[in-house]
Amino acid sequence: MLKFLARGTALAAMIAASSPAHAETLKMWGPEQITEPLVAQLWNGIKADFEKANPGVTVEFMPPTGTISNGAVQAAIQSDAGPDVILTNSGIGRVSVVKNAKQVMPLTEQYEKRGWKDEIYPWLYTELKGQFGGEIYEVPDGLDALGIWYHKDLFEQAGWKIPATWAEFETLMKSIEQSGLQPIAIGPRTPGSAGHLFGNLLQSASGKDVIGKALRREIAFSDPSVAAGAIRLQKLVEAGYIKKEMAGLDLDGASRLWFNKRAAMFVAGPWFTANARKAGYDLANAGYAPMPSDIKGADIPTGGVGWSWLVPVNSKQPELAMKWIDFMLSDAVMKKRAQDPASTMIYPREIPGVEPPTPVLKDIFAAAAGGVGYNPSVYLPGPVLDTYFQVIQGLISGQIGGEDGMKQIQAKMIEAK
Amino acid sequence: MAGHTGGKPAPMSKRRAAGSASPDGDAGTAFWLMAPALALYALFTLLPIAATFWLSFNSSAGFNTSASFVGVDNYAKAAQDPIVWKSLGHTFIWLAYHVVMAGGLGLLLALAVSRLKITQVFFRTAFFLPHLVSLAVVGVIWANIYDPFFGLLNTALTRIGLGAFTQGWLSDPALVLFSVNVASSWQGFGLYMLLFIAGLQNIDHSLYDAAEVDGANAFQKLIYVTLPGLREVMTFVVSLAMINGLKGFATVFVMTNGGPFYQSELITTYIYRLAFQSQDHGLAAVLCILLSLLAIAITIVFNRWRARLSQ
Repeated sequence: MLKFLARGTALAAMIAASSPAHAETLKMWGPEQITEPLVAQLWNGIKADFEKANPGVTVEFMPPTGTISNGAVQAAIQSDAGPDVILTNSGIGRVSVVKNAKQVMPLTEQYEKRGWKDEIYPWLYTELKGQFGGEIYEVPDGLDALGIWYHKDLFEQAGWKIPATWAEFETLMKSIEQSGLQPIAIGPRTPGSAGHLFGNLLQSASGKDVIGKALRREIAFSDPSVAAGAIRLQKLVEAGYIKKEMAGLDLDGASRLWFNKRAAMFVAGPWFTANARKAGYDLANAGYAPMPSDIKGADIPTGGVGWSWLVPVNSKQPELAMKWIDFMLSDAVMKKRAQDPASTMIYPREIPGVEPPTPVLKDIFAAAAGGVGYNPSVYLPGPVLDTYFQVIQGLISGQIGGEDGMKQIQAKMIEAK
Repeated sequence: MAGHTGGKPAPMSKRRAAGSASPDGDAGTAFWLMAPALALYALFTLLPIAATFWLSFNSSAGFNTSASFVGVDNYAKAAQDPIVWKSLGHTFIWLAYHVVMAGGLGLLLALAVSRLKITQVFFRTAFFLPHLVSLAVVGVIWANIYDPFFGLLNTALTRIGLGAFTQGWLSDPALVLFSVNVASSWQGFGLYMLLFIAGLQNIDHSLYDAAEVDGANAFQKLIYVTLPGLREVMTFVVSLAMINGLKGFATVFVMTNGGPFYQSELITTYIYRLAFQSQDHGLAAVLCILLSLLAIAITIVFNRWRARLSQ
C-alpha cells in the first residue's frame, strides 16, 4: 500500500514537473466581427498558433460590445476585469480619450526594444511620433481608406459612372434621385458612419492640405476654405439628395439601404466587405471609387489609422500582451491575415506578393496606393469629436447650416486646447 | 423563570423590569442586527454620493489620474453649457410624457381589462409582457419599427393609404423625444396597468350600486366613483412613473444616443457622454448632483401634493 502511494505521489510529481510552470490567460478584446464564422475561423487559427508558440498560455477573446467612441472600451478598462490587450477603432482622436484618462500604457519604448518601429510604414511611425509629443500609445493594426461604394450592376444598367468633377457628381446624384433611388446613404446615429461621408465631402471641397492644416490648428474650421464641405452637405440635404430622415439611421440602417439597392452609393472603407458578407451581398458587384473633387490630388480616399492595439494600464498580463502584439506584427500572421477571405483592411506595412481576397479590396488598395487623406473622425481631439458628430446630425436633419456647424466645431477646438 | 407570570403574558414594563431586555439593550441589539446592512449602505450608497460630491469640485480626466481641486469651476462650466440646459428641459418633457403616456395608458387599459370576464387573464398577461423585455432590447426593436425606409410604422402607414403621415420618427427634431418616449412607455405601462387593476378591485362595489340608483351614467361613475377610488394608486403610479422617467437612459442611448443634434439628450445620457466618452468626470459629477436635486425637489412637491389629496 505504501509502495502504491509512493508511486502515485512520484507520478503526480512527474506530471506536475512536466506541466508548464504556471498557466497564463491573455484576455483579448477581439475584432468587431469576431462572431462572424469566417472571421472567427481566422482568429481562432491565430489564437491556436499563438498558444502553440507559447505553451501554457491561453488566449481568451472578449467579443467587443462597443468602441472608444461609445465609451465601451473605457468602461471595460475601468472595470478592472477588462482585457489585457485591446484591438479597437483608433486614430488620434479616440486614442487621446483613453490616453488623457491614463487608461492605456505608453508603448514608445517597446517600438525600439521590440523592433515595432520597423514593422510599420516609416511615414506611419513618424505620424504616430508626432501625435503626443513623441510618446506612442497604440500599435496600428489596420489603415482605413474611405471612398464611395456603388452597385456595379445598377450603374451599368443606368449608364452611370462615378465622374471626375464635383459638378458632374451633383448631376449624377440628381439623375439617381430622379430614378427613384436614394443617391447616397448615411447613418449618422453611428459616429463612424457620420464621419465617413462628411470627411470625404470636406476633402473633396477643400483638399487634403487644407483639412490637414485645420486638424493641426493652422486654420480655423470655421474658415471658408474649410467650411466649404459642410456647406456642400447642407446643399445636398436641401436638394433632397440626402434625405433628412437619414439623420435617424445608424450604420446598420444605412447599410441596409445600400445592400437592398434602395441607395446607389455609400461611403465606407475596406472593412465594409465584412458587413457585405454578413448581409449576403455579392462582393463581385461592389465597385469602389474615391469622392470626386475639382482640386488636384484631392480625389483620393480619406483615412488614417483605423484599428490599433492598445494595452490597458491595468492589464494583468502586460508582458504577454506585448508578446501578442509581436506575434500579430510577424510576417507569418500578417500574410495569413492578408490572404484570408476574412481580410478587411489595409495593413500597416507593405506585404509583397499578397493578392487581396476580393476584387473590391483590390480596387481599394489601388485607390489608396498613392496615400490617403484625413478622416477627421480619427484625427480630431477627443473632446471635439462629440460636437463634430452632432453637427453632422444637425446638418443632415436640417437643424443648422454648414457655416454655423463649423463655427461650433471650431469653438470646441479652442476649448480643447 | 424570569418574566414568567403564569398563563397571562406579562405587561411590557414588567417584562423589561424582569430583565428580558432593556430599552438600551433593544437599541444595541437592533444596531448590531442592522450593522451589516448599514455598512453595505454606507459602502455602496453614501460613499459614492460623497465621492461624487468631492469629484464635482475637482478636475479629473478620469481613471487613474490625480484630481486637482478647481472649486466651483465645474458648476460654472455646467451653468454655461447650453447642452446642460437643453438636456434639463428635455428631462422635464420626458418625465411629463412618461407619466401621461405610460401612466395614462396603464389606467385606460386597466379600466378596459377589468371589465372583461373570461379573457381578463389573457389581456393582463399580454399587456404586461413588454415589461419583461429589457429597455435596451426595446430600444433596438423600436428603432427598427421607426426606420424611415424599412420600418413597420412607415410601411404600414403607406400600405393603408396614409403615406402622407410617414415621418422621420427619430430624425425630426420635434418628434424624436416623443417617439423614443413611446418606446419607453410601451415597456412600462404594463406594470402601471396591474397596479390600477389592483386598485379597481379594492373599490367598494356598493358605491357603483348607489350611483346607479342615483341615475349616474358610465362617465359619471368613472368621474365620481372610480377615479376618486383610485386616488391612492394614482399617486403611487405617478411617483413610480416619475422615478422610472428620471432613470430614462437605455432607450434614448440605444435609439438616438441623444441626437439628432442633442434633440433627445437627457441629463442621464449627457452624464454618460461626459463621464465615459469625454472622460470629464468633474462636469459629469455636477450633473449627477443636479439630477439628485431634481429627484429630491420632485419628491417634495409630489409628497405635498399627495398629502393634500389625502386630506
